[in-house]
Amino acid sequence: MIRVFTVSASMILCCHLVSTAGAERLTYEHDIRPIFRAHCFDCHGASEEIEGELDLRLVRLMIRGGDSGPAIVASKPDESLLVDRIRSGDMPPGPSHLSDQEIDTIERWIASGSKTARPEPAKIGPGLGITPEERSFWSFQPIHRPALPVLTKRDESLEIEEPIDFFVIANGHEIATQADRRTLVIRAYFDLIGLPPTPAELQDWIEEPSDKWFDHLLDTLLASPHYGERWGRHWLDIAGYADSEGYSAADTERPWSWKYRDWVIRALNDDKPFDQFLTEQLAGDELAGPISGDLTANQIGLLTATGFLRMAADGTGSGANNSEGRNQVMIDTLQIVGTSLFGLSLQCAQCHDHRYDPIPQSDYYAMRAIFEPAIDWKAWKPPAQRLISLYTASDRQKAAEVEAEAQELAKTKAQELAEYMQQALNQELMKYDQPLRDQLKVAYQTAVAERNDEQKQILAKHPSVNITSGNLYQYIPDSKPKLAEFDKQIQQIRSKKPIQEFIRALVEPPSHQPETRLFHRGDFQQPKQLISPAAFTVTSEPGQQAVFASDNEQLTTSGRRLAFARWITSRDNPLLARVIANRLWMHHFGTGIVATPADFGKLGARPSNLPLLDWLADELMVQGWSLKTLHRTIMSSATWRQQVLDASQKDYASRRLRRLEAETIRDRMLVTTGRLDPKLFGRPIQLKEDDTGQIVVEKPQKRRSLYLQVRRSRPVAMMSSFDAPTMETNCEIRSSSTVATQSLMMLNGQFILERAIEFANRVAAEELDAESLSTLPAFDFPKPLSDSWQYGFGSYAQDIERTESFTPLSHWNNNQWQAGPALPDPKRGWVLLNAQGGHPGGPTHAVVRRWTAQATGSIKIDGKLSHPSAAGDGVRGRIISSSKGILGEWMAKSNSTNTSVSTDVNMGDTIDFITDCQSNHTSDSFSWPVTMTFSDNDQTMIYSSVDQFSGPSDPVAMIPSQIIRVWELAYCRRPTEAEYRAGCQFIAQQLSTFRSNPTAIPQGRTAIQQAMTNLCQSVLSSNEFLYVE
Amino acid sequence: MTISRRNFLQQQGMGVGAIALSCLMQQEQSQANPKNVPKRPPVFDLKPKPPHHQPRAKAMISLFQHGGPSHMDLTDPKPELTKFDGTDYTEEVGFSFVNEASKKLMGTRWKFSKHGQSGTELSELLPETASIVDDICLIRSMHTGANGHEVSIRYFHGGVPGVLGRAHLASWLLYGLGSETNNLPAYMVLTDPAGHPVDGANNWSSGFLPALYQGTVLRAKEPRILNLDAPAHLAGAPQQQNLAFLQQLNRRHADRFKNPSELEARIASYELAARMQTAATDALDISQETKATHALYGLHDEATREYGTRCLIARRLVERGVRFVQLFLNGQPWDNHSNIGTALPNVCRKTDKPAAALVKDLKQRGMLDEVLVHWGGEIGRLPVTQNQGAAEKHGRDHNGQGFSIWMAGGGIKGGMTYGATDDFGHRAVKDVVTPNDYQATLMHLFGLQSNDLVFHQNGVQQTITADRPARVVREILT
Repeated sequence: MIRVFTVSASMILCCHLVSTAGAERLTYEHDIRPIFRAHCFDCHGASEEIEGELDLRLVRLMIRGGDSGPAIVASKPDESLLVDRIRSGDMPPGPSHLSDQEIDTIERWIASGSKTARPEPAKIGPGLGITPEERSFWSFQPIHRPALPVLTKRDESLEIEEPIDFFVIANGHEIATQADRRTLVIRAYFDLIGLPPTPAELQDWIEEPSDKWFDHLLDTLLASPHYGERWGRHWLDIAGYADSEGYSAADTERPWSWKYRDWVIRALNDDKPFDQFLTEQLAGDELAGPISGDLTANQIGLLTATGFLRMAADGTGSGANNSEGRNQVMIDTLQIVGTSLFGLSLQCAQCHDHRYDPIPQSDYYAMRAIFEPAIDWKAWKPPAQRLISLYTASDRQKAAEVEAEAQELAKTKAQELAEYMQQALNQELMKYDQPLRDQLKVAYQTAVAERNDEQKQILAKHPSVNITSGNLYQYIPDSKPKLAEFDKQIQQIRSKKPIQEFIRALVEPPSHQPETRLFHRGDFQQPKQLISPAAFTVTSEPGQQAVFASDNEQLTTSGRRLAFARWITSRDNPLLARVIANRLWMHHFGTGIVATPADFGKLGARPSNLPLLDWLADELMVQGWSLKTLHRTIMSSATWRQQVLDASQKDYASRRLRRLEAETIRDRMLVTTGRLDPKLFGRPIQLKEDDTGQIVVEKPQKRRSLYLQVRRSRPVAMMSSFDAPTMETNCEIRSSSTVATQSLMMLNGQFILERAIEFANRVAAEELDAESLSTLPAFDFPKPLSDSWQYGFGSYAQDIERTESFTPLSHWNNNQWQAGPALPDPKRGWVLLNAQGGHPGGPTHAVVRRWTAQATGSIKIDGKLSHPSAAGDGVRGRIISSSKGILGEWMAKSNSTNTSVSTDVNMGDTIDFITDCQSNHTSDSFSWPVTMTFSDNDQTMIYSSVDQFSGPSDPVAMIPSQIIRVWELAYCRRPTEAEYRAGCQFIAQQLSTFRSNPTAIPQGRTAIQQAMTNLCQSVLSSNEFLYVE
Repeated sequence: MTISRRNFLQQQGMGVGAIALSCLMQQEQSQANPKNVPKRPPVFDLKPKPPHHQPRAKAMISLFQHGGPSHMDLTDPKPELTKFDGTDYTEEVGFSFVNEASKKLMGTRWKFSKHGQSGTELSELLPETASIVDDICLIRSMHTGANGHEVSIRYFHGGVPGVLGRAHLASWLLYGLGSETNNLPAYMVLTDPAGHPVDGANNWSSGFLPALYQGTVLRAKEPRILNLDAPAHLAGAPQQQNLAFLQQLNRRHADRFKNPSELEARIASYELAARMQTAATDALDISQETKATHALYGLHDEATREYGTRCLIARRLVERGVRFVQLFLNGQPWDNHSNIGTALPNVCRKTDKPAAALVKDLKQRGMLDEVLVHWGGEIGRLPVTQNQGAAEKHGRDHNGQGFSIWMAGGGIKGGMTYGATDDFGHRAVKDVVTPNDYQATLMHLFGLQSNDLVFHQNGVQQTITADRPARVVREILT
């Protein structure tokens, strides 16, 4: 097998080879036990039932062997049954097998005399225990603040002041030149608030004269409310935040989940010390104390925080309220706790001792015991019953009063209804003679279930007697609005109730201490021994495991989670500060110091720079667990401020280009197009399925992506395509993929097309100062085809057979040209022209659609004049050439007529389409779409009065400033001259393409608008927009 | 800036584009994500990756028959059941519809007979499948242990009964092997025009695997592939110019950095997207097929036209390097709780001929050796009557204890049956095959050891079978 290892992995390999270079140095504990742990102990040592009586936990037990005889023969691997069984593939059973390398190690160990590191104990208890080798693994060691390294070689050009830089250089890294100020500002913005600076902000930072400009920048960004949104999203990833319950295909909505999301944002904005941030999430209910009467603001906060423990998918409210479903909630919750706080794959110890890390199965259940009183599968409340109302007593009273008032009216309505029903019945019965009338009446008034066959029969025979509240309106039409009015009033009354909000919390019932048992093979149907709450064995000295009291007498609750929270945030736990410091680093650099942020175990990556990690972890604690302080420390380092040299470098301490996360891409687009609503907090933005079955965001798209509903089974197409997590459980690290589907989305997707239009509209609406424009090189743009058309009114002069006057229409109103802002215009009446046709004014105000020839050649004109209205006396259409006079005249009155002519034109000639009324102008709306095929020696061009119809065209002179603005808004910089030229050339190219392809301009857009829209689309999907340096 | 640079896209992917492309497609010198190797930073791609061992299959077409085809009426003759028709069944039965449950045995009403050289017995409802028995391996001993549809479907696709959000086995194949095509999505799903199967889009989710491994739906109506085609106003020259301009922007940006391989990959991905537009259109154009092929798939017959078209498109897709194609039906057509006498023949009529045609067609083109075909549902049905009143309304309830599927090609032995249910077709009793065995077997045929294809998620080593027992069913391999 050829395997390529990453840098960190190859280092491990090297260490491994060094330590095993002399075959005689192989020991059981160091080299063999990890292999057995991964492949063999499940059946041969970890549990009480030992297969074939073969116990592999001690060498002497192997030599003694099991049912099939000795497993190993000292120094003779070829004669050892163990090797034989493994080599033949018999063992381990099933498709899993040992690698050649592992088998080789075992053989060499046996050949070298199957040595142990130390004498084996005379007695051995149940389970695998933890060896000194396993205990000495790096992540389980206490955090000691490392001394600052003394640097022998230092680059004098760098200002190295920050401890981080000392550690990085001591680690063999060269620190690159510092990035320029513009790059640093943008980088800091994205790192801390996940949004780009506006051009003005950027300019201010670049021009800030103070030496302390960078400190001020960090102050500003760390104080921004958007900081909590940015870093809240990171935390929500590992907490597994979702607005739906998951588990089943229905994936029921999870209302009120967002209250926890908002709590996280607020807590991070407040820089709540991380130990407290965490303690509240783990044990907020225990801190909140007994709840009686109205909740205080503090209690609401503490209870909301426990939403963290309610993030797991939960099917118990949607059909899976059974032992399996309930236990799954516990399992997922522990997984979230394990990966987010310990960086350990705790869940691997659910069924058996962890195969790689020293976590016995009993530790898993000791952890479970901490949560059992609050998440008790034997005393379960489904999600809906756990909601805590934020109603106060006075709210409740007010609501009751309002409801009483509503009921009062409901009663009146019921009476009214009964009277109507009676009236309808009486009316209806009058149609029947006695005795049938009375029979029907009795039958009808008998309750449905109690009707006898005869009654049923006569009612079936005379269906019209079957009056219901639903069909009552057919008998008494007036009843419907009257009754509806009642409903409306009742609704109005109810709306006076105080709005009732809820929180999704984890609240442990008082005095509730259910037992926790170890589940054999993780199966809740096979409970074994009782387990007490405790911390991981490996984190304490041998024999000194931190245990948590099963009950804290000072609390009404068991106090287990509070004790756990205190321990996890204490120095006794070596993992938390490392895990959190590593996460911060990862989000600032793209790669963690430990590349596997949720696996600090044996299968995870080793720290690339352990002293640095430990220093950061210690610093985090020393600085009172302030994340904002740690951000500042990291970002002030020369390491963070380096420029990007190698775009693809994946090293922990180098700068590389980082692709923005899905949310940040979308947010950046919203900012760039000027549409971002910076509002914080609130209910999730709803999603919907579009015509093609894709999940999209309900319009208008304005809020930050953090607020989009997270529906586990309905990921937003645009988000998931750019690797937003789907939250099966939680997401410990985002992937970053590059695939054609993303490109297709950027080329053709509705989302980007809409953003591009908004962006083009924005730059068209903004103006750049004339001074900055004057320096731009001029560019000769082709005229858009729509410029061939003009819209006006005037009259036709019979005597000269020419257009007598032409006054351009001055007002563009949404999709039509008018003579003034009002319609009808006080002077010119109903004069208007739109894409299809228009409306003439009075007899002296014909409407004129004018086309001007851009070259000399021949034209063929095809059109159809229609007067659709049945009323009025119709319209007259004339086509007039400025050089040849009248080409044709047609009438249309409640009908249509074709208007085909051909003629020659010289450049600059006009062709007018004049429409006037006959004797009066009532009902004179007409349509007259015209297609003109122009040919000269070189080319044939199609002019369409419909496709090329447009409002006032932007003068081409505005294009340069718009291009500049696009660069400023999207890239936070001005274009280089080459880029500017490229942009102009693109626009020119598009404009000339549009000349021969009018359908490339959607209705309602001008050629320039569309060309700019296409330019904006390219910019929004370009790498400079998607990646940050 | 030069014209030739601006227009490189029109130059058939030469020049700058080709360099970027070679960068994207450059083969990685690593194994297919082996176990126990500490993780690299999570960057994923579809570059081809060498398998663990010599593969037999390169592509797979799964004709998923959800609802639970009634094996005792189709593929698993049970004379004892016929003999004891109408008498009480003495074994314990798990029912899904308890309100209509009965213990009355119900023999099949259709005739079984032997076919081909292998003499495989099939019911008269599958006359076309009967003509390919010598090319298929019929497994009569499938077992999910659960009667529910969703539970068993998720088991088949995700590896664990009932659990939603796991990666589809096709996503695993892509993760392990990458893609063989530059022009088409490597994992495609052909949905029924009438609608989605039960569990909807979860049936082609990549779960915890990155989104690039998820299935791309080839819809039954336009737009066939989402975002594939340019909106009308961009089609043609405007979009080509957009692309050229975009690539020019990207080029300038990439030129500023050393080692811009990720940027190059994105540049290339736009070219892939552009090529996909032509390639997909071509793949879907079945008018290129001969009349004989149309007839083979039943395209002239109202009953078979729709399913036959999709089977034919499936072949055209694997022909172009698509790794995995799965066909779904609308709802659960095989879920014959009632009126089995009419409902079952209807769904057979729709699927029997096209499915058989696919195998024949692949064979005659020499593709069957490397293309694995799977036909089957997630469960089977019970030997007892589901009582819906009148006899003609009778049906059968769910049965995950024993049922049949068939596979062909890609290293599967033809002309054989494997495993057996008990005398009444109730439980798989001989050579039981679970969905995990099925997964391990097909991964094996693709050159992968299912337990060694690992994805690190939250510190957990995920595998397709979630480390549940799984065996490669070697007896059915050539």
